[in-house]
Amino acid sequence: MKKAIAILIAAITLTSCKNTSEEKTEKLQVVTTTTMITDLVKNIGGDFIEVNGLMGAGVDPHLYKASEGDVTKLYKANIIFYNGLHLEGKLVEVFEKMESPTKTQVALGETLDTSGLIGSEYFASNFDPHVWFHIEYFKLFAKQVTATLSEKDPKNKINFIENEKIYLNKLTALQTEIQTIIGTLPKEKRILVTAHDAFNYFGKGYGFEVVGLQGLSTATEAGVKDVQRLSNFIIEKKVKAIFVESSVPRKTIEALQEAVKARGFDVKIGGSLYSDALGNPGTEEGTYIGMFRYNVNTIVSELK
Amino acid sequence: MTAPQIEIQLIAAVVAIACAIPGVFLVLRKMALISDAISHSILPGVVIGFFLTHDLNSPWLILLAAVTGVITVVLVEAIQKTGLVKEDTAIGLVFPALFSIGVILIAKNANDVHLDVDAVLLGELAFAPFDRLIMSGLDLGPKSLWVMGCVLLITLTLLILFFKELKVSTFDAGLSSALGISPVIMHYGLMSISSVTVVGAFDAVGAILVVALMIAPAATAYLITSNLKKLLVLSILFGVFSALAGYWMAHLLDASISGSMTTVLGVVFLLVYLFAPRKGLIAVMYRQRQQRTEVSLLTFLLHLNNHQEENERHINHLNEHINWQKVRSKTVVDLALKNNMILIDNNVVSLTEKGKEFTELALEYIITNKDENIEPMKEDFFLFRG
Repeated sequence: MKKAIAILIAAITLTSCKNTSEEKTEKLQVVTTTTMITDLVKNIGGDFIEVNGLMGAGVDPHLYKASEGDVTKLYKANIIFYNGLHLEGKLVEVFEKMESPTKTQVALGETLDTSGLIGSEYFASNFDPHVWFHIEYFKLFAKQVTATLSEKDPKNKINFIENEKIYLNKLTALQTEIQTIIGTLPKEKRILVTAHDAFNYFGKGYGFEVVGLQGLSTATEAGVKDVQRLSNFIIEKKVKAIFVESSVPRKTIEALQEAVKARGFDVKIGGSLYSDALGNPGTEEGTYIGMFRYNVNTIVSELK
Repeated sequence: MTAPQIEIQLIAAVVAIACAIPGVFLVLRKMALISDAISHSILPGVVIGFFLTHDLNSPWLILLAAVTGVITVVLVEAIQKTGLVKEDTAIGLVFPALFSIGVILIAKNANDVHLDVDAVLLGELAFAPFDRLIMSGLDLGPKSLWVMGCVLLITLTLLILFFKELKVSTFDAGLSSALGISPVIMHYGLMSISSVTVVGAFDAVGAILVVALMIAPAATAYLITSNLKKLLVLSILFGVFSALAGYWMAHLLDASISGSMTTVLGVVFLLVYLFAPRKGLIAVMYRQRQQRTEVSLLTFLLHLNNHQEENERHINHLNEHINWQKVRSKTVVDLALKNNMILIDNNVVSLTEKGKEFTELALEYIITNKDENIEPMKEDFFLFRG
């Protein structure tokens, strides 16, 4: 008995001793939530700051679960950038509780002028949080990030502004490129059917009619009635392809495809779009610009 | 280690101790499932508390939740007393009903209040250090550490004050009433404490971990000892060890903290289940094999005792006569030889004096079938038992 206790205590002390000593860095510690924001902040901050993203590729921000490493990241953070507009769910409550003079917290989505935002049925009495699908808003995000970083780290201000300029130019180039690609798609074919309503800003910006399967009902899961109504819609408008999303289960959209097929009309699944998270880091789709280009190319080539 | 890392481990350790103590009594009373039931059935209490106070952090929520926990126990008892259903069925009837009432209450009012199942139900240990208790500008540390510290203090005080009463009423309800200790009061007292602990821990570390921290350490300790004091000490040790080891596992894997802790609790139970000195799987299997050999030996010796004729006692004949496999007969003959119970002369086996004496005693045991006859025999004769 006593031996057992001694062994247990020894084991506890042994395991507790594995203390990883982190090297002291003078760099500004920045924590970000979604992969889109992580990519943006990395572009502006470059090597002058240390960016730690909480959510990985393919993580649904509503269902994010904290890991042990996230605690230290948050603790050390000087600045936290997050989307806000209830995208991160309960996590924001944690951010609010962490309020302290040494930590700056910026809800990028909430710095936008609300008059342009789309009211959301899904997020009751709130705004649709998927604002990054409007590139103009993403540019405003970039400006906000630059301003915050410059304020906290004035000696690197020139570098941040330089990076911002480069990045904003890239975004402008992206806008032109996308305008051209979408221009090849006839207006009556601009109908985007997806699993949930993440693409409302995209639709508004480029004249797409966006229908989300889950967005049709306020309940969290699509009902039989929604599938029926949407399949009628698809047949009526002769939509060629419907899309799945990287962070939403494939099943519901497959059910929709079956329903359409049962009525003698063929609609294909046009591939997977990135909605709430970017692709794997290191790939083309792992950056905001690459993701946007991929989504638009997929949508246009499948609907043509 | 950074400050939040230390604080998380501190909270985890305090929660582990606070859960292990009522956990031991729940496991002993075969009521382990009630902790899971309480963790769900408190929902209507939390919701009503929120409607009354409009504050998710109000202590009323914890109080009302604890009351709902006790109501759960009362209802379970009432249904069980009808004698129509068993206890597990009664638990299964009560808690989904209460939980559903909570869900309906939330659903009915979800549009007016930002209150969803997640917000009420799930504490996250990883973020516990960021929710701090600040009094007049002074940072006093994480709030959940204070809450669970108080719960632990109350539990410990009650445990020390009523240790004897708890012990008697747990192991022998009849004797307890005879001694003037009401088992009913003890029962509800214990259930109230369990209820408060579950509610407090729930907020600090989340649902699954609470149930795991209540049941697993007690169940593990119960494999090793049946002594109540040792049970409590071991449960606390297992709980705290698993919590800390789980934390560092999460650190190495950069994974969910409560998930890792629950995994370690399971692994610790498995290891103890396999290797526990008396009740462990390996110990039991070893003992069963030993007993089989002993029974075989007895049969063998009785056979020798019954047959004086040489051909019946020939070593090759034994195989077919008693119908053993070769390996087994060899084991038995070796054992008998080693203990000087038989002699082999020219392939004919005969009993020694000691063997005869043993057989006599064994016969007496078989006739009377009294355990006290066999136990000292083993001590006296079986050298291999060490």
